[in-house]
Amino acid sequence: MTRYDLPDFAPDLLAAFATRRAERVHTPVIQPADPFLDMAGEDLRRRIFLTASETGTSLCLRPEFTIPVCLRHIETATGTPKRYAYLGEVFRQRRGGAEEFYQAGIEDLGERDVASADARAIIDAMDLLRVVLPGQTQAQTLSLTLGDQAVFEAVVAALGLPVGWQKRLIHAFGDVGQLEALLDRLARPQPVTGLDPEIEALLSADRQDDLIVRLESRMEETGYSTNASRSPTEIARRLKEKRSLAETRLDGSALLLLREFLTLRLPLAEASAALAGFADAADLKLGPAIAAFDARLAALSNAGADLSAMTYRAAFGRPLDYYTGMVFEIVASGGAEVLAGGGRFDRLMTLLGAQSHIPAVGFSLWLDRIEALRDAARGKTGEPA
Amino acid sequence: MTITIALPSKGRMKDEASAIFERAGLKISSVGNDRSYRGRVEGIDDVEIAFLSASEISREIGAGSVDFGVTGEDLVREGLADADERVEFCARLGFGHADVVVAVPDIWLDVDTMADLGDVAADFRTRHGRRLAIATKYWRLTQQHFSGSHGIQLYRIVESLGATEGAPASGSADIIVDITSTGSTLKANHLKILSDGIILRSQACLVRARKPGHEGDIRVREIVERVQAALRV
Repeated sequence: MTRYDLPDFAPDLLAAFATRRAERVHTPVIQPADPFLDMAGEDLRRRIFLTASETGTSLCLRPEFTIPVCLRHIETATGTPKRYAYLGEVFRQRRGGAEEFYQAGIEDLGERDVASADARAIIDAMDLLRVVLPGQTQAQTLSLTLGDQAVFEAVVAALGLPVGWQKRLIHAFGDVGQLEALLDRLARPQPVTGLDPEIEALLSADRQDDLIVRLESRMEETGYSTNASRSPTEIARRLKEKRSLAETRLDGSALLLLREFLTLRLPLAEASAALAGFADAADLKLGPAIAAFDARLAALSNAGADLSAMTYRAAFGRPLDYYTGMVFEIVASGGAEVLAGGGRFDRLMTLLGAQSHIPAVGFSLWLDRIEALRDAARGKTGEPA
Repeated sequence: MTITIALPSKGRMKDEASAIFERAGLKISSVGNDRSYRGRVEGIDDVEIAFLSASEISREIGAGSVDFGVTGEDLVREGLADADERVEFCARLGFGHADVVVAVPDIWLDVDTMADLGDVAADFRTRHGRRLAIATKYWRLTQQHFSGSHGIQLYRIVESLGATEGAPASGSADIIVDITSTGSTLKANHLKILSDGIILRSQACLVRARKPGHEGDIRVREIVERVQAALRV
């Protein structure tokens, strides 16, 4: 189904944004494609509507709002903290489901009190869903799943893994298959083989400078050096790191701990105690990450959030490098479709060109799915359409 | 209903395809003169030959406007989403061999596998202020191999329609995904193939568009069986 009209509950959302003092922003439907492909990766290419201008610039139909809203904030150089709200159409190639549909949400930029900002994003997402979902149906039975990459980062750091391995694991966080493949490699290290004997000798003797000179001269011989992106220093450094990482083995008990952590799934209200218990039993120091987790939970409780409908799932994350901490999803109980999704993306603003570090958290509501639930409820109760 | 078979319109691909069809008892003759783009199968009335370029053939099969085609598996898999649902690879014809591979500068001594490349890609933005750039004309195959099979998301594709192997040296990309048959062009350009960097071992195939009308059509079955039999001798 293709629709051109705003959902009939859009005014309710706009009013709710105004009450929350979130400034509504408009962003063009036609956007430069590069920022989306740069941030989310080439996988996005087959899911967006790409076109090109007459001069060859890659353009796309707005596939989501976060990047346009953040870019607009950087361009207009308004100060922080700032809360933006949006409501409009997004365009994606989807199998099943409409290819143009409405989304609405809030992006909270520059709030230094991370725990409060996280809690506010969750509460706003829940409240907005309650505003638009019919009371007698799903509104009372919304359930939220929360993940926290910072806790995972603390666990892999506390296991004493080298930084290179920590980066690999963190990068794969949220991608079950990829993470499992990495754990396999940690269980069964494979030494680096097949190197030129001369290079091997330089490496074994730790003659890094000679290795760099050797690489430099080879680059010059092949005429590659003028345009080379990776320098001899970078290659030599990574060669050394790769060898040491290849020797890293995680013993059985540490692997078991990591796997045990990734299976944690429990009511959010019990998550603090469970994480503390896990850290104690495993003798891992997770202090700051657990403190931040607790602070967010406290902020949620203080704001009157109902934690009983919320679940913590330790393995829940998004494998994109701009997501940093909390992520969450809200579904109607019994339903599979995500009605609201959100998370913290502290790295996005600088990746998009902001001069200073700007912490950011936000969420988005899927208005097409909400509308379907409203239609279904109306059908059941026989109210006029 | 006329069955249309699309064959390569020129060069060795045309000759080799014609030779296999002849061995299969499906001798092809051009309609009109030698340069004509229409042909027929001698002795069979309702089978028509369309001579097209290899990339057109994969497109026409995808659209279902021809019933069969002889073209490279790489072109079909690159050109069509969900290729296996839309077409059937009936026979591999033993010519037109080309591997679609991931190749990096051979001076990258620290990069031998896709996992190595994943490490490099993850760090690339921090070190170079931009994502790792891959020159290729195979964006779909690249995306499937990198994102689908190896969990590598962070790279950018630079479309390259020719002389792709020159891209790393000219600075227009860092690495390439391209076809190679002997590897000599890669070597001449100081590139090496990653150990798990073979995305597809492609060759010319007899490809059938999955059309409902083919169900139970004896001519469709016969064409496939004859070509398969010709390959066994």
